[in-house]
Amino acid sequence: MSQGEAAVSIRHSSGGVSPLALLREGVTDILSRRRLVRYLVSAEMKKRGSDTFLGNLWWILDPLLQMIVYVVFISIIARRPAEDYPLFIFAAILPWKWFSAVINDATTAVVRHDKLIRQIAFPKLVLPMATTNAGVVGFAWGLVPLGLLLLAYPHRISLLLLWIPVIAVVQYVFTLAAAILVAAANVFFRDLGNAVGHSLRLWWFLSPGLYSLAALQDLSVIQQNPIIGTIAGLNPFAVLFEAYRAVIYGTPDGGLPVHPDLVSLAILLAGSIAFLGLCIVFFKRVEPDFAKVL
Amino acid sequence: MSKAARTVPAMRKADYAIAVNDLGVQYNLRFNRKTTLRQSFANIVGRQPPKRFWALRHVTLELKHGESLAVIGPNGAGKSTLVQVLAGIMRPSEGSMEVRGQVSGLLGLGAGFDVELSGVENILLGGAFLGLDGLRTAELLPSIVEFADLGEFIDAPLKTYSSGMRARLGFAIATAVDPDILLLDEVLATGDANFRAKSKARVIELVRSAKAVVLVTHDMDWVREYCNRALLLEKGQVILEGPPDEVTALHLERQAAETARRQEAARAAGLDPVLRPK
Repeated sequence: MSQGEAAVSIRHSSGGVSPLALLREGVTDILSRRRLVRYLVSAEMKKRGSDTFLGNLWWILDPLLQMIVYVVFISIIARRPAEDYPLFIFAAILPWKWFSAVINDATTAVVRHDKLIRQIAFPKLVLPMATTNAGVVGFAWGLVPLGLLLLAYPHRISLLLLWIPVIAVVQYVFTLAAAILVAAANVFFRDLGNAVGHSLRLWWFLSPGLYSLAALQDLSVIQQNPIIGTIAGLNPFAVLFEAYRAVIYGTPDGGLPVHPDLVSLAILLAGSIAFLGLCIVFFKRVEPDFAKVL
Repeated sequence: MSKAARTVPAMRKADYAIAVNDLGVQYNLRFNRKTTLRQSFANIVGRQPPKRFWALRHVTLELKHGESLAVIGPNGAGKSTLVQVLAGIMRPSEGSMEVRGQVSGLLGLGAGFDVELSGVENILLGGAFLGLDGLRTAELLPSIVEFADLGEFIDAPLKTYSSGMRARLGFAIATAVDPDILLLDEVLATGDANFRAKSKARVIELVRSAKAVVLVTHDMDWVREYCNRALLLEKGQVILEGPPDEVTALHLERQAAETARRQEAARAAGLDPVLRPK
């Protein structure tokens, strides 16, 4: 009878819970169920790896193939892409694949566990959390093809590559917040998946992934309306892509790798932490209604 | 149990396991599993008032350790909602509820956690969902495997299981954690005769060892034989709460009256099921 001692749970009707209390509750949810998150991640990995003929090999092939598609496509349209262009865009494809895969999965993270949610009481925050962490594993696998690609451009290999985990931490916080938001919202609006898919595609092409932020600022539209340029610079993925590219590829004009812009990364990190807090509060506020709607 | 009661200062009566006070659960029909963004915009533009209904209202009950309560009533009476609130799956819209002790529930049929994973992996995952630590889950694993009695299937993915086998695994997981309060929602009717006998024996054992049980069922024999209290719900309201014999009798009586009324209405509409030509 060791478990029953302090287990007195009291539930009152909803309402009147302060955002701060919800935030604290949400953080406790995640910290107390780390093992559950770990199990969910390994279950997810197992499924993804065992489903297909080539299994885990796809995690390596997938970003490479996507890179080849863009290289062919851009070479035809732009004729003179940047120097060492495959590496230039691979530095953006890798983090973007992580983000877009997580957000796509996260839209159904809560909804696809509807049966479970009606059967057991557990903190639902672990679901988008597990999706995001599974994305980290995929990203880590993506570093293998990055290493292979770098072997083709040995002069760009430097100790600056050690910045990648630091930039990834900033991206992780932002991704987790967005995953929590779409996972909760999709419970109430089931067609959110469509909107998310198209928004992601638009977001990718508007972010400086296939081109540099400097190239974007050179466009005549932005020269005439500097406000658009400012907005483009505020895009979290403008900051992230520029940072990844600085340490993996180098400067936009083809120069060797440099330190990332730490000020904009720090601002993005602070903003992402605040965003994460808001998303957790939102999730916790609507969580009690999940079982009723599902 | 007495230990649990002693550590908590006598806030109320010391020996209750569940105390529910004027509980109500309201559903907002604006959001359901088919709500889309388009509809929501239409609702906002069209100023449609939100539709709501009470699945449960003014439910008050207290259950002591060692008691076994049957919840009966017609379909849609709010039985499952009540159990879901007790399990902590839903938050009440009004009133309050206190549960003392560890709750474990087997709600709905076909309990399972991930159909792609094997039986053993499901047990481990289930333990994590129920909030057990890794050590305790590893301790319980052999007894769960033995009780579920699935043979070699225990290492096969859950998607290869029949619904009866899934229910067996779910029942084994839910009851193995040695809960203080066990919630069962129409699970006793599943599995073959052999497993039904086994699960009945397990529930009786749990009731005997001073655990509180709340059970939703349509099996009136079960209610009379194994429960010491019963609660009749209709349309979210408590009709009667008391000894099983009395409550089941009233339920059957009201059901018969309802059937008669329906037949009468059908006859009036010229749809007499008895006189209809073949």
